[in-house]
Amino acid sequence: MPPLERSQRPPPPGKPFKQRKSFATRKQEVAGIRSKFPNKIPVIIERYEREKFLPPLDKTKFLVPHELTMNQFVTIIRNRMALLPSQAFYLLVNNSGLASMTLSMAQVYGDHQDDDGFLYMTYASQEMFGQL
Amino acid sequence: MNSVSPNAVQYTGGVMHSELVDGRRPQAPAQKGSFGLRPPQSPDPSKEAGGEPEEMDKLKAKLMSAWNNVKYWTVKSKTSFNKISPVTVLGHSYLLNSEQVERFRLAFVSRLWLTYRREFPQLEGSSWTTDCGWGCMLRSGQMLLAQGLLVHLMPRWTWPDAQQLTDVDFEALRIRSPVRVGGVPIPSFGSPRGSGTPEKTPPSDLTPNRSEKKRFECPQNRQAEPVHQKLLTWFGDQPPTPFGVHQLVAIGKSSGKKAGDWYGPSIVAHILKAVAHTSVLPNLAVYVAQDCTYKEDVARLCDPPLSQTPPESDSHAWKSVIILVPVRLGGEALNPSYIECVKNILKLECCIGIIGGKPKHSLYFVGFQEQLLYLDPHYCQPVVDVTQVNFPLESFHCSSPKKMPFTRMDPSCTIGFYARNKKDFESLCSAVTLALSSSTEKYPIFTFVEGQSHDYGLEAHSSNHTSPAPHILPPGNPTRVNHRQNSDEFVFL
Repeated sequence: MPPLERSQRPPPPGKPFKQRKSFATRKQEVAGIRSKFPNKIPVIIERYEREKFLPPLDKTKFLVPHELTMNQFVTIIRNRMALLPSQAFYLLVNNSGLASMTLSMAQVYGDHQDDDGFLYMTYASQEMFGQL
Repeated sequence: MNSVSPNAVQYTGGVMHSELVDGRRPQAPAQKGSFGLRPPQSPDPSKEAGGEPEEMDKLKAKLMSAWNNVKYWTVKSKTSFNKISPVTVLGHSYLLNSEQVERFRLAFVSRLWLTYRREFPQLEGSSWTTDCGWGCMLRSGQMLLAQGLLVHLMPRWTWPDAQQLTDVDFEALRIRSPVRVGGVPIPSFGSPRGSGTPEKTPPSDLTPNRSEKKRFECPQNRQAEPVHQKLLTWFGDQPPTPFGVHQLVAIGKSSGKKAGDWYGPSIVAHILKAVAHTSVLPNLAVYVAQDCTYKEDVARLCDPPLSQTPPESDSHAWKSVIILVPVRLGGEALNPSYIECVKNILKLECCIGIIGGKPKHSLYFVGFQEQLLYLDPHYCQPVVDVTQVNFPLESFHCSSPKKMPFTRMDPSCTIGFYARNKKDFESLCSAVTLALSSSTEKYPIFTFVEGQSHDYGLEAHSSNHTSPAPHILPPGNPTRVNHRQNSDEFVFL
């Protein structure tokens, strides 16, 4: 799991989704998409700002079926990033807590949705250690 | 005897509480100049240049090693322990207001301490002859594995020659003579004590006097010395030892790591799994959890189907297993709601410790008393030739317990557990699940689930979508730069 080569380095991280759009815009966006797709959950996935090993995603907004489990969701993203099974990958809900892999997205959404109606998740690998 | 005890190095400075020291530590990196701030993975230009890398590396290593030891011992201070709340070491609790001080000493000093070493045979494909400055996570991993092997091969063993504790302050408490035994037994949290786990210490509330007496006088501990020594030879830094730094670095190459790189707790878990597989221990397996711990995957690892079992072996014997769970307990800092959870894990008898550390500084956590108790690999010692008969053992044991606040714990870590047999594994699952439920976070940090990992993957997801691979990243070009106009669209899963 070497760090990304300089040529592959992601572009300088843009502002987090929450800072790019006002609360009102985000709320409106959720209302719009929920009315069109009531069976889907709007999820924002962003890379941990100091992540050095995992590649960036070119999308941040996902519409996820209620019954999808966290495990399946993680598998989809791992596959698309072409990660090795041994590579560390964690999804942190609201950038702080881990969600159990057996939970459904609907459960996580019910417990942790933001006031704007999105569910926010951050992905990160693990830190490396080495010092005098 | 105390060749590496801090007594051997004179230092000045009076009693200093660990809280104070820890308060000062955040400033430490700034004093280290470029070494401490070296970004992980950055290749050393001197090595790339191909000029005289060996000389450069050697000089650098010498400087690092010297600096390391100056820092290690000059920043040294006493660790204070109180006598009110028990100190927990790997599933056992000791109230330091009694003769349990002596039991605590044996419990701590008997752990194997693997540290940076210098002047070992060159690591293949590099000019490194020391791991000082980069190998701390590998050393923490060795300590975790060593603890698993101690429990596996020498349950309940304590080292009869364990040094006296140094640099500790028991709040003016004097260690009483260990002759008169007694004291208040502290029940440990959720200890799985099934009838099928004879290796566990008998409940101390039943026969405290007898069990403690046995502990101090146990002739088996003396008889186990050859095993102790044998175990340490496996960690010797001379190829072809099964768990030495040479072997760990060689295995780490398949994860894209090389000598001189920094390692993480998850990579080290996978390295430990690989070295244990090719090892001298046929009855021990290592399992690394990914996302969940799948009970059936563990069962298959420990009890392979008959067809795979050599006919001469006992097909009913479940292998013992070390379960390693790499986790990330927060984003930039440890999520404080997991502190209780970490404590409860360290209270479990089945827990063999946690490898993690402070940011950039790997440590092996073995217990706590208000703060985390750890063994620190950041002390560069000369290599010990483990092929010599009766090689010295002192440098593999640490007499100076240290503490740090939970809040400074790096969120990246790997938690280790050990189960001797199937029944042990079942009680482990329930004990750990109970310990994990103590977090104020809504969800446990990991779970044990029935079945195998592939039962839970995408195959099991009955979606209306024909393609289970929705467009998240363009295939073949996984790191393409953002296109803002696209990034604002929803991806349907």
